[in-house]
Amino acid sequence: MKNLIPYFTLGYPDNTRLCRFLDIIPVEKINYIEFGFPSIDPRYDGPVIRKTHSVGNINFSGEVYSKYFDYFSRNHVKMYSLSYYSDIKDRFDEFIGYLQMNKFSGIIIPDLIIDYFNDSRKVIEKLNDMGFEYIPFFSPATPDSIIKSIASITNSWIYYGLQPSTGIEIPYELDYTTERINTLLPGREITYGFGIKTDDDIKNLMKNGGSGVAIGTYLVKMIDAGDEKGFIDYIEKMRGVLDE
Amino acid sequence: MITAINRDIMPENWYNVVPDLPEPLAPPRDSKQDVSSINLLNKILPREVLKQEFTFRRYEKIPDEVMEQYEQIGRPTPLIRAKNLEKYLDYHGKIFYKYEGATATGSHKINTAIPQAYYAMKEGVKGVTTETGAGQWGSATALAASLYGLPAQIFMVRISFEQKPLRKTVMNLYNGNVVASPSTLTEYGRKMLKEHPDTPGTLGIGISEAVEYALDHDYRYMVASVMNVALTHQSVIGQETKKQLELIGEHADVLIGCVGGGSNFGGFTFPFIPDGDETEIIATTADEVPKFSKGDYKYDLVDSAGVLPQMRMYSLGADFVPPTIYAGGLRYHGASPSLSLLINKGRIKSDEVTESQVKEALRIFANTQGIIAAPESGHAIATAINYVKAHKNENKTIVVNVSGHGMLDLSIFGEKK
Ligand SMILES: Cc1ncc(COP(=O)(O)O)c(C=O)c1O
Repeated sequence: MKNLIPYFTLGYPDNTRLCRFLDIIPVEKINYIEFGFPSIDPRYDGPVIRKTHSVGNINFSGEVYSKYFDYFSRNHVKMYSLSYYSDIKDRFDEFIGYLQMNKFSGIIIPDLIIDYFNDSRKVIEKLNDMGFEYIPFFSPATPDSIIKSIASITNSWIYYGLQPSTGIEIPYELDYTTERINTLLPGREITYGFGIKTDDDIKNLMKNGGSGVAIGTYLVKMIDAGDEKGFIDYIEKMRGVLDE
Repeated sequence: MITAINRDIMPENWYNVVPDLPEPLAPPRDSKQDVSSINLLNKILPREVLKQEFTFRRYEKIPDEVMEQYEQIGRPTPLIRAKNLEKYLDYHGKIFYKYEGATATGSHKINTAIPQAYYAMKEGVKGVTTETGAGQWGSATALAASLYGLPAQIFMVRISFEQKPLRKTVMNLYNGNVVASPSTLTEYGRKMLKEHPDTPGTLGIGISEAVEYALDHDYRYMVASVMNVALTHQSVIGQETKKQLELIGEHADVLIGCVGGGSNFGGFTFPFIPDGDETEIIATTADEVPKFSKGDYKYDLVDSAGVLPQMRMYSLGADFVPPTIYAGGLRYHGASPSLSLLINKGRIKSDEVTESQVKEALRIFANTQGIIAAPESGHAIATAINYVKAHKNENKTIVVNVSGHGMLDLSIFGEKK
């Protein structure tokens, strides 16, 4: 099954409204889910996701979500945390412990190899030792040698950001981009994210060997509007496209 | 001069260093909280330019039409062994210079102006706009736009506009419209004039005006430097140099160039980066604009108005108003992110030279090689001369990029009795 990964920032737009969406996710249609822990400086996110972080920071309450974490794990939906290293570095062990206790499978840390490159190997090895997946986050700006070396010390799937930040629509060469990463990491699962919304986006990525897609910014519109039906339809439709 | 069939020396592709950097390049960041300045680039740059900026293709094919124009404006440019300079310095190693002053507009700037104007024309854009310091970039933009039948609106830093009237004549000859910046053509310019009526202007203000003008008139903005795509286009300089050295069985031990935003420097040196760490690479700036020694390596504004995304680079701050120095092209407060990263990692060294060292270097170069180099390029020559003096007995092969000629900058020498 190809990966369909919906992304939610915890606490946005508020706990109650977000929970309504978590309640209705067709769990059999998704295999992974990504939760953004609100960051005080979501520096590599676009304006839409940035707003979800600033709202999430005010609302987030761990207690509200623990029963959802339990629910998803019981339904075999693997959970990944999206966290900025700048937020968690001072309480890293405690935070990873919290995620493990809540049955998360792994973590995506978008700023690790960019802002903390010198620490990155140590952090990844530590996660490996803790038996917790580190999901490498790469983009077209990641040099080849770094892609290879970081991938070589991890076993998980790769999160590949197609745009310079979330929700951005800058033209890029899709075929070249996918071919480059496929050539560098043959056989590795590559899941694409950033700026993906339409079925055509997904079809093209799958045609070029992608193993899945993450969708974030595009869901925010539905969450804002409380469009529960639209959300379910969208997830079902995207699952259909992925499975084609 | 090295002679060979032009196309044997000219590369078929531009080279982009980003896939070969030692660490990931930090992405651009929005300058404002609730809007995306990155998305706004869709309305500022030609689509193909934007695509190249963010696809990071290691080798980007140079379109045939651009190759043709490259030949028309004098590519490949010569690589010349500076034997007279070697003799003058009593140096037993070798000094070569790549002479970008030999292009039609007198500097390397035309190397990226042509493709940017070409893409703008192909996309049916109404016109192009940009800023210029010393006037080299404005001249290149005006010519490139004119070659493709596009109007060009150029914002020239006020101090240069006043000190270099002939540059304006050149741009006008190439059908460019030129105004002193800050100007009354844009809201930002009017605001600056009101707040600082005597401002000499800065490149940051000029960029802000040009970007605003592009957005308001559905023009496209031409990127002189700093952004990666300009450095990629400039890679013709370094690739030709490599080829020219190869043809005569030479190998560069040291590469030296000057840095304003980093375009001639990156274009000249980056093609040597994948070859390993053996070649020493030195970036020179003016000591009045000490971005590498006194600037911070941080996210900062590219334009003073903050319309463009921020980039992580060495910067003295976008509101840094440099002295009205003799080398307008080096007054920019920051430097390209890829170059900044390589400096931060120690792969590229930096140097600063003073005005008197630069003038002396320009005099020596004129008297030995006969070339009156641009004041910007004079910085690279000064660093090369200092290098030779400090490494007298090492007999290295030094290659200097002379990014432009200084025939329109003669006023810096004043009157001599
Ligand atoms: C002749 C010359 N050299 C160098 C520069 C500096 O710019 P860059 O660092 O982008 O090459 C300029 C800029 O105007 C210039 O005119």
